[in-house]
Order: sequence, then C-alpha cells, then structure tokens
Amino acid sequence: MQLNKNSMSKSKKTSQSVSRKKPKFIRSALSIATSTMLASVAPVVHAASDSTWEVDSAILFYSETDRITAVEPVVKVRKEIGEDEYVGFRIVADSLSGSSANGAIATNSAQTFTSPSGSSYTAATGETPLDPSFHDTRIALNGEWETPLSKAIKGIFSINASSEYDYESYGVAANISWDFNNRNTTLVTGLAYNSDTVKPVGGAPTGLNTMSATKTTQGSNLNKTVTDILFGVTQVVSRNTLMQFNYSHGEDDGYLTDPYKILSVLDNNGNLISGAGQYLYEKRPTTRSRNAVYWKTVHKFSEDVLHLSYRYYWDDWGLNSNTIDARYRYELGSGHYLQPHVRYYQQNQADFYHYNLVDGSTPQYASADYRLGDMTTTTFGIKYGIVLDKGQEFTARVESMKQSMGGSNQGPDVDAIILQLGYSLKF
Amino acid sequence: MVQISNKSNSLSLEWKQGFWATQFNAMASPCQILIDSDDQTQSKSHALHLAKIAQQEALRIEKKFSRYRTDNLIYQINHSKGRAVHIDEELAGLLDYATSCYNISDGLFDITSGILRQLWKFDCSDNIPTQAEISPLLNNIGWNKVVWKKPYLTLPEGMEIDLGGIGKEYAVDRSAQILNSVTTHSFLINYGGDLFVNKPRKNNQGWMVGVENPEHPLSDNRLASVTREPDKLYELSQGGMATSGDSRRFLLKEGIRYSHILNPKTGWSITQAPHSITVIANTCTEAGILSTLAMLQEKHAAEFLEEQNVIYWCR
Repeated sequence: MQLNKNSMSKSKKTSQSVSRKKPKFIRSALSIATSTMLASVAPVVHAASDSTWEVDSAILFYSETDRITAVEPVVKVRKEIGEDEYVGFRIVADSLSGSSANGAIATNSAQTFTSPSGSSYTAATGETPLDPSFHDTRIALNGEWETPLSKAIKGIFSINASSEYDYESYGVAANISWDFNNRNTTLVTGLAYNSDTVKPVGGAPTGLNTMSATKTTQGSNLNKTVTDILFGVTQVVSRNTLMQFNYSHGEDDGYLTDPYKILSVLDNNGNLISGAGQYLYEKRPTTRSRNAVYWKTVHKFSEDVLHLSYRYYWDDWGLNSNTIDARYRYELGSGHYLQPHVRYYQQNQADFYHYNLVDGSTPQYASADYRLGDMTTTTFGIKYGIVLDKGQEFTARVESMKQSMGGSNQGPDVDAIILQLGYSLKF
Repeated sequence: MVQISNKSNSLSLEWKQGFWATQFNAMASPCQILIDSDDQTQSKSHALHLAKIAQQEALRIEKKFSRYRTDNLIYQINHSKGRAVHIDEELAGLLDYATSCYNISDGLFDITSGILRQLWKFDCSDNIPTQAEISPLLNNIGWNKVVWKKPYLTLPEGMEIDLGGIGKEYAVDRSAQILNSVTTHSFLINYGGDLFVNKPRKNNQGWMVGVENPEHPLSDNRLASVTREPDKLYELSQGGMATSGDSRRFLLKEGIRYSHILNPKTGWSITQAPHSITVIANTCTEAGILSTLAMLQEKHAAEFLEEQNVIYWCR
C-alpha cells in the first residue's frame, strides 16, 4: 500500500503558523480506533436479492346498505426467474349477493316484476324496486410475464380469463416501458384486448320491448369485445417527486346492454301507465368509444408519502367524469403507518339516460341504470399497515362510500362500507 | 393501469471495457460499485450480485442510523428524555469510536453537535444565525455530558446524537468488508464521493479517481447541478478516500463563506478553511475523520495533514 507524503499541495508556512504550536500527530490513534470499530461487528451479507418469491393476499368485504354484499379474496404470487425477469399469477374470487336496482322508479302503489329467471318479486309503495335475485360468483385468473427486452426496455405480457354463470371473458395484454434520460423518464405504451360472452338468464331481451315472462329475445349468447390502448410518461421531477401522465383510449363493440335493467313508462301526469308496456327493457348502443387522461404525482417527504391523482373520462355516450384521489401515508415509526384516503368522483349522465320514459316517446336507446346518470361519489377511508421484518406486511383498510344522485337522476343515495385485510410476504 | 415503479430499489449495471459499473441511490447520494473483470459475460451475474449486496448494506445502514427516520435506535435515543437506552452491538462499536475520536480530537469531533443544524441551514443564502441564538444550544452539546456505559446510553434531555458525519464512510467500509468476504475481484466502492478500493486490478493498476474541483460554480448556485470536470486524476490502488467540505453547501454573507462544517465548541461555521479537503487513508472512515478534523483546523488544515503524513488535497 502506497501512502507517501504527497507534494501536490504544500501548505504555505505563514509567520502565524510557524509561531503556532505544532499540530499533534493523531493518525495512529485514529487508525487503531477505526480498525477496532470496524472489527467490532462481523460483516454479514444481507441479501435481499435472495428473496425471489412475493406473495400478496387480501380479502375484501363490500356492503351496500340494503343492497349488494360482496366478498372478494385475492391471491397474487410473483417469482423472479432471472435477472429482472418475473412471472406472476393472480386468482380472484368474487361472491356477490343481495338486491340490485332494476331501473324502475318508486311509485305510490306496490309494483310486481318478473325476474329474469321467470319468478316474480314485488316492490312496496314508495320503494325503489330492487331485484332480489342478484347473486353471482366469479373466478378470475391472470398470468403475467415481465422481462427486460433490452437494457432500458421492459415488457409485461399477460393473459386473463374470468367466468361467472352469465358472463365469460378472455383477454391478452402487452405493456412496454422504456427508461431513458438516466432512468428519470419512462415512456409506457400498453395494448389490451378482451373478448367477452354475455349469457343472460332467460336470454337477452329485445331492447325497449315490454318486460314479460314471455319476452322476445335476441339470443342467449352475445359477444362483446373491449380494446384498450394506453400511452404514458413517468418523470422523476426531483429526488422526492415523481409525476405520471397517461392517456388511454378504448373501444367497446357488441352487446353492451344490461339484460336485467328496465325503465318505467309514465303518462303525462307522471303516473305509471296502465296495462302492457309499463316497463321496457333497456337498450344501449352497440359501440362505445372511451377516453381518459390521468395525472398522478407522488411526493415523498422525509418519511411520509403523498399520492395525488386526477382523472378525466369522456365517451361517445355523452358520459363524462372527474375523479380526484388523495392518499397520505403517515409513518408512525417502527414500521407502522396510517394512510388516510379521500376520493371524489363526479359524473355527468349518458345522453340516453332517462330516469323514466314518457308514454309515446320512441327513443333509439334508453337506460335507467343509475350508474349512467348524474352522480357524485365521495369516499373516505383509512388504512393501517405494519411492515415487519423478512418482507412481511399486514394491512387493514376501512372505507365509507356515498353515491348521491343528481340532475334528472332521482334515485336514492347508495351507501357502502368497504373493509379489506391484506397480508404480503417475500421469501 | 401503469404502476409507478419503486425506483428506490432500482439498480443499473453497465459494462465499461474492463469493469462493470453498477449504480444505485442510497443515503441521499448516487452510489457506485465498480467491479474489475476481463470477461464481460462470465462476470455479469457476479457483478450484479455484488452490487445488490452492497446496495442492501448501504440501505441497511441508512435505515439503521439515519436521524430522519422514526423507526430506528437513533430516534429512540434522541427521544429518550434522559432515560437510558439499550444499545446493540453495532451501534455500541460506533459509540465507542465516537468516544475515541472525541478524545483524540480534544472535542472537535462530537456526534452531539447535530442540533446546531436547527440554526444553520446551508442553502447558499446569507442567513447567518446570531451568537444569541447559538449560545443556548451549546449547553446541549458535548459528548462528555453523555453517559455511555456499554450497553446503556443515557443522553441528557435536549441533547441529540447524529452519526451523519461518519455514516457514509462507515457504509463504504462495511460494504467493502462484506464484498471482500464474497469476491476475489478488485472493486471500487463510491458512496457519494467517499471511496474504498480493496486491491489493485488484474492489470496491477489502481482505479482512476477524479478529485473534483469545487471552485467552478461558486458564484451562481443554479450551476451547482452542472457536472464538473475533475481537475485531478488519482490512481487509487488500495485504501479509502474521503472528502470534507462541499462547494454546494455553504452560506455567503459580506464576502465571508460559511462552510457547512460546524465547530462543536463554538457553534460557529468554519470560515477560514479550504473549501474542500480530500484525504487518503487505510479506510474510508479514517479518511473521513481526518478530512473533517483538518477542516476544523481552518487555515492550519494543510499543516495538520502534513503532520499526519497522509496524501491529501486542499482546495
């Protein structure tokens, strides 16, 4: 080891420094202290690089007041199979039950309806008609392969399938991202295609025809395709701030109508007409062209992290919406954190949304599905998490959601409670 | 939906004719591990493995000793309100070391001086604290006021410890120890300008290290992010190298340049020292302590380093 005196920088001996006490030689003492310290603890290889499996699991409970209840367990497994190369698998099971608004309006007398399976149910005076036969179990599987395509380009390729008793869906997706500008900028493009089959119970009713047990149908297996394309850029703005901007475009084609939704037909006095044609099956266009722009920023304070996002959505059904979402991860110390969440969603109705139809009107398309009407949804939630050693994390999230109808949409508010428990592990 | 990737754990790897250059971020600094090799394909996965190990170690040390976190022993100590805190083996080694350095330097190296940062914010402004502000804080500084009886540390209320002065250098040396236990390759560790080289490269040469010239961007702090050309190249074959002083962190008032290095005895920033001092020693930690103590000698810095018989550069 060569540690000779270097002549590149000679100090100028000023008169002051000459008269000063000669500096002490302390290097040996420092050397000994340093080597003692470095020898006090044996070096240990902490190889997080060895953990090649990641498992995420969660169970979600969703409950609307007097309406739908859902339980949804999810398990995700991801394994590193090579350098920056991963395969992943996800299984989701949904179990829904309860009552769902059928689209008809509340009236001042009791109303009786025929359910898709042919049985009947009655809504009491002044009550929004709810179809109580709503129950479903869905299983969805997703497989994913993530691989570097070059030094700066990464590809994610996935296939998915889901099945429930009246709906099947199969899809493929590809997502390419490119890091450049010292990895401070990432460009992303994604393409996804899904082919779905709708198999309504009792067949798909002919749109805008009278609701009846002996309805005319337009088939029992109807197809629908969904194609989505996305362009995005993620930019590291500063050491602590990341910003993302996406544009996505989607095209739906095929049977887009809800076979179980109906509309009430009123006379000029606002009363349900008498006789046949009181309730008509809804009918939606067979194409839908969707667009969304999305902006998100993540800022890390010394410990805490703020996620803020805004999304604007619009489509050629005339529906548009604004979503603002904010989460703040507050570190409590020792691996505990709390994350409050606020979400505000505001939607303007589709052109063919009608709270009800008026007798004699002959619209081309019509739906009274409250989810296509004017609506504001506010969500408040909080998540608690604890990050444990060995790559384990527990989370619990509770949220309260309120959907308030607006404009011509005179339906009742929908309140829901969401509870989610999660556990993840790396090994 | 596109997920924002977790960039904090990202790591890059690049082949540079004769060695692998890997990069990641830790301790608020760009970190580099260079691994000597004459066979690109054979050494790639080994190089990546070494980089990941070093990254883990750097992140571990950052997490364990950062004063900005609330989930570590440093936080517990600084919020102990005068109660004794049980110290683990590794921190005990560092506290023993801090004690030795405090004694050897006659109190110039003091890990309790960090509270002065409440007053001194080195943002290149002219915001200089007054003596009236500094004086009360001095009561809460002094390693001699601390009771350190292994394994218990009792810090008087109002005092704090801060290992920021040696953390990066310590991480370099620890990472070097670990890499040495798993590789026979020559490597260079560079955590934000603090370096260590384990042994000469296969061609018997050292690693060429640029010693930055801090003079260039003095007048305009907007230029601070501009990459500056090193003004000296030095061949480091073995040992540690550390630099104290930083042209990007200072205060300037009435023509006096206040360095971000503070004298724990007076509470004042040093003004007469070179802008930066780079020292080469057996380990990075030792180089770091020597360069810091040299800064605190102010205009006698070079004289002090001459006496220590080390290779150094003063700017």
